Amino acid sequence: MQNLHPERLVTTITTTTTMAAAGADMKPLQHAMKIAKVAIQLDAGNRHKEAYCEYLRSINFITHSLLEDAVSRQGEIVEVEKMLRLAEQCLERAKSSFIGRRDEPATPISYTTPINLAALSLTTALAVSPGKIVSPQPQEPVIYSGPKHNPRPGQRKVLSEGGGEVITFLPPEIFQSFQIVESQDTRKELTPIEEASRLNQKLKENYEARLARLPPAQARTQKTSLTLSLQRQMMENLIIAKARQDALQRKMEERRLRLQEEANRRFAASGTITAEEQEQRVLYTNVLEYEQDHDWPKLWKANIKKNPDDPTLVSGLVSCLLSCPDHPVMMLLKRLQYRVYNRLYPIVSKSLPTSPALPMKPSHSAQSLLMSDSHQNVSKSEVGHSMSSDASLNISFSHDHIANEEDSDGPHTLDRENSFEDLEQFLTQLDWAPSHGDPDVTFEQSQLDQEEPLVQDLEMRDLKEHLKAIVKDIHIAIDQLLSLCLLSFECLNTASSKDLCVASIEEAFFTPLWSSLLALFRKVHRERELSFESSMRLYRDASPGDVGVASKLYPQDPVMLHGSYPYDSAVQELRLLCKDCCPQRKLECIVRTLRLICACAEDYSCLHEAESKTAAIGADDLLPILSYVALHCELPQLVSECAALEEFIHEGYLIGEEGYCLTSMQSALQYVESLHTGGFQLHNTKFT
Amino acid sequence: MAAGGGAGNKTYSFKVVLLGEGCVGKTSLVLRYCENKFNDKHITTLQASFLTKKLNITGKRVNLAIWDTAGQERFHALGPIYYRDSNGAILVYDITDEDSFQKVKNWVKELRKMLGNEICLCIVGNKVDLEKERHVSVEEAEGYAESVGAKHYHTSAKLNKGIEELFLDLCKRMMETAQAEERAKGNGASQSTTSRRGVQIVDDDPQAATAAGGCCSSA
Repeated sequence: MQNLHPERLVTTITTTTTMAAAGADMKPLQHAMKIAKVAIQLDAGNRHKEAYCEYLRSINFITHSLLEDAVSRQGEIVEVEKMLRLAEQCLERAKSSFIGRRDEPATPISYTTPINLAALSLTTALAVSPGKIVSPQPQEPVIYSGPKHNPRPGQRKVLSEGGGEVITFLPPEIFQSFQIVESQDTRKELTPIEEASRLNQKLKENYEARLARLPPAQARTQKTSLTLSLQRQMMENLIIAKARQDALQRKMEERRLRLQEEANRRFAASGTITAEEQEQRVLYTNVLEYEQDHDWPKLWKANIKKNPDDPTLVSGLVSCLLSCPDHPVMMLLKRLQYRVYNRLYPIVSKSLPTSPALPMKPSHSAQSLLMSDSHQNVSKSEVGHSMSSDASLNISFSHDHIANEEDSDGPHTLDRENSFEDLEQFLTQLDWAPSHGDPDVTFEQSQLDQEEPLVQDLEMRDLKEHLKAIVKDIHIAIDQLLSLCLLSFECLNTASSKDLCVASIEEAFFTPLWSSLLALFRKVHRERELSFESSMRLYRDASPGDVGVASKLYPQDPVMLHGSYPYDSAVQELRLLCKDCCPQRKLECIVRTLRLICACAEDYSCLHEAESKTAAIGADDLLPILSYVALHCELPQLVSECAALEEFIHEGYLIGEEGYCLTSMQSALQYVESLHTGGFQLHNTKFT
Repeated sequence: MAAGGGAGNKTYSFKVVLLGEGCVGKTSLVLRYCENKFNDKHITTLQASFLTKKLNITGKRVNLAIWDTAGQERFHALGPIYYRDSNGAILVYDITDEDSFQKVKNWVKELRKMLGNEICLCIVGNKVDLEKERHVSVEEAEGYAESVGAKHYHTSAKLNKGIEELFLDLCKRMMETAQAEERAKGNGASQSTTSRRGVQIVDDDPQAATAAGGCCSSA
């Protein structure tokens, strides 16, 4: 909703123009960037056509000023190269918005990807680290990564130690605004007042048209009466609308009270009312209210009652529920999600200065400074803008520079793209002032501001405490959602339906949160990840035998492997783990990996002894192979992923196959971590 | 839910870890156990590392999850994450290998220290088909088992001896422990504490309750 505040946009543009006119000191590059920024905003608002024009305008401006500069006073523009680069990027984006324009109207949004709408502006939620750009990697599903960020396979870059990497996350209020965008889309009914104002708009247009058609002499005489009649009509419309709205409101209020009583009756059994019970009553009232307005819950309930043994009906109901953003269950989900994100954000958006050797880059401090600036008020954030372009420019290009130095073998174009997105992200951040009308948000915001200095001093112990608290919050949130869900649809209260319900709720709940949640886990498990990485480097070319895999369980002859390495398929499977954003799916991925290992082991052992029967491998064989697979996976973040899974795995799965596979995975990871210190005396152990 | 007694509308879920050195034959033991009792569909594709078995013991349904662990010394440190929440442990040694018996003693100490008396321990001397090469005396082994509150069994995976009894016995003991725990809980006020212990009592679906066969039949 916020990405295209027309008034704000206008202010931005006017500031731009006035500044361009007044400020002789404003560099052409800055001006070009201003235009680009407007374009990005438009893009974000799905106004591809206008965005396309703005991009072209920016290119036009750049070429024009460069041409002028080249022809007349040579070399006055210093940032020629940068400007050319900007032009190039604008051209790229113009191309994509041209495509976006053709594809309009936008495809309907499903709940699981609530951010598609705004994805373009957020192509941006990009990994920015002080002094280094971490390119969007397949194993780093950054929150809200847009369509342009489809992970590039084979483009993996491992964290360098001491880098203090920070993935830039969206401020909570933006996170929330996307949740709102989505729910507003579905609300199509107008209130009486809105209807009246629409009507009045039309009347006014008619009036103006009529006035224009009149000859001047007549116009003068008739104008007054026309104006008066217009005013009277408009007033009448408004009064009628007001009365209707009041009546409606009264009715709603009455209904609400009635439903409230119904809810109270339902919970009457308990004597004293706790705060939670009170909350549950309110939520249940909301559900009842919703059901009065919507027929689908009744239809599903009746249907399930008719065919109680049909599992497809249950999953149908659950997915239907998830696709209704205004159902109280989904509203609660969003609220809880936001609450969790709001707690995560201050921690994950700040880098911990883990390595004293690496000084804080200006980008970081400048960013936070400007961000807090923009929180305060609009006029101040406008001031922020004018100085921002300078700052952001330097930052983005210095990033670019450093990234090139550090990663000289990486494709150059990619880094450039990143730098632009870095800038773009930075610019977008500046423009997100908190929505002033919403007291909730401003409250949260002030809380966040208070926390900021605190956060920087957070030590590991505090981080761990924080992690624990958040994990607990999430558990409570899921429980709460489940109970409201079962309250709304009693027909779901069977063992199997409940499982399905939990799975669906979790998927919806975790998907937008996982990357920020994982970021916190990664901070806490940083040491372990570093150990893993060292082992990984040390054992890059190790054979399975080097980590203790029995020789009969892998082919010695490289010809047998057809150019790849042993257990390749299991490695590929395990790499997919980081792409899912939901714990349950990740667990399934681990189970598949272990099964693939068993299948591979059987194949390999058949190569060795033609007559061997089924070679079932026990844990003695499984663990070394799994360690080998984990090493080859080259994803240190597996350590954190598994630690997170450990927290969110269901009790029911704990002693089942999923639990066993996760435990084995954890053991293998721990073993790999210990490899580089030699703590496990690799070669002097006997194994069968 | 009534504590302890009553009809067969409950399902117990038990986790059993398999501990022992690499060469003592844990894997064959467990494979043998499944091979006899079950057709293939009950064996997961993880085959010998992890398997589940459904039993019916004195009218009560038991889901058994057997977790194999890696026996190599270098994985020893990882033991705790495997055996936490276990209801039972099977500690296997090779009767021809004195060293493997010492390892079992170490495991017992660790398990008692970490999990207390809630875990049912079975000490298993495997490879009794190699009686001639025995290096661990029967008296010593059984005496030790008794001293630590564990049961001792002799098995041979090769001859398929003693394996059935071992698992059946263990299941019965775990059920007793679980029932005792239930009673204790029933006397206390709340049972809503969400402990992460493995015992779960699930209300049965009515259709499956009738399918109960004899003692220890495959469901």
